[in-house]
Amino acid sequence: MPEISQQAARVMSEEEDRKKDDMTTIQPHEVRPGAVQPNASISRKLREFYDAVQEEGIPDRFLDLLERLEQAERNAKPVKVK
Amino acid sequence: MSKEDEIDDRGFKRDLLASLPNLRAFAVSLTGRHDKADDLVQDTIMKAWANQSSFTAGTNMRAWLFTILRNEFYSQMRKRGREVQDSDGLFSERFSVHPEQYGRLDLQDFRKALDKLPDDQREAIILVGAAGFAYEEAATICGCAVGTIKSRVSRARTRLQELLGVSGEGDFGPDPDHAAITARAFGS
Repeated sequence: MPEISQQAARVMSEEEDRKKDDMTTIQPHEVRPGAVQPNASISRKLREFYDAVQEEGIPDRFLDLLERLEQAERNAKPVKVK
Repeated sequence: MSKEDEIDDRGFKRDLLASLPNLRAFAVSLTGRHDKADDLVQDTIMKAWANQSSFTAGTNMRAWLFTILRNEFYSQMRKRGREVQDSDGLFSERFSVHPEQYGRLDLQDFRKALDKLPDDQREAIILVGAAGFAYEEAATICGCAVGTIKSRVSRARTRLQELLGVSGEGDFGPDPDHAAITARAFGS
């Protein structure tokens, strides 16, 4: 049925245009029926991943390092070039 | 050193410590590995400490630290040449060390997808989407225009959607009931 294939071709070409738009412009805030914005899912996963690392806290090596830097500064009192 | 300076020093250390978990998460995002990330954070702390005088008290220390870390990362990469990235092998093993944190399969998949982004897109989406910076701050940190950051974030999102197979047609979402309500609301 030529009508249907023409329709399909049109849909496919619109889909292609949309993809091209997505690559070059700011993502439009389109909400499709029955679907949540894809960006919401991406953003949530991104924060989940990032927060997991943040929640590991500060490794001891950095606390020790800052302690040593402070100590060295107290001992040496170098002349700071401002 | 005057008493005032000492107070400033303590404030500097306190603010630096407060920024560390976020800074470290950024380092892990850039390097893809915890050991390299921690080396990078260590270099950043030493650089920041040595350049305390160039930091203007009262301004955004987090943005200042992120800028130092980012510059350090790219200058080290330039020096060493691009090392072969091992996003599937070593990295996955590393993540399995923390199953309680990265146990969810989709989070590991996400991490792998993130690794496949070009560096400029990855850092843009991390700074804006996770580290909590405004577009303007991210632009300052990366030394580029705000519009550039916006388009990088946009491209990163599109690429991540493709990589993760999030089509926008119901692969994800709150729950079927919610989706049904949304569908009715849009009259389809």
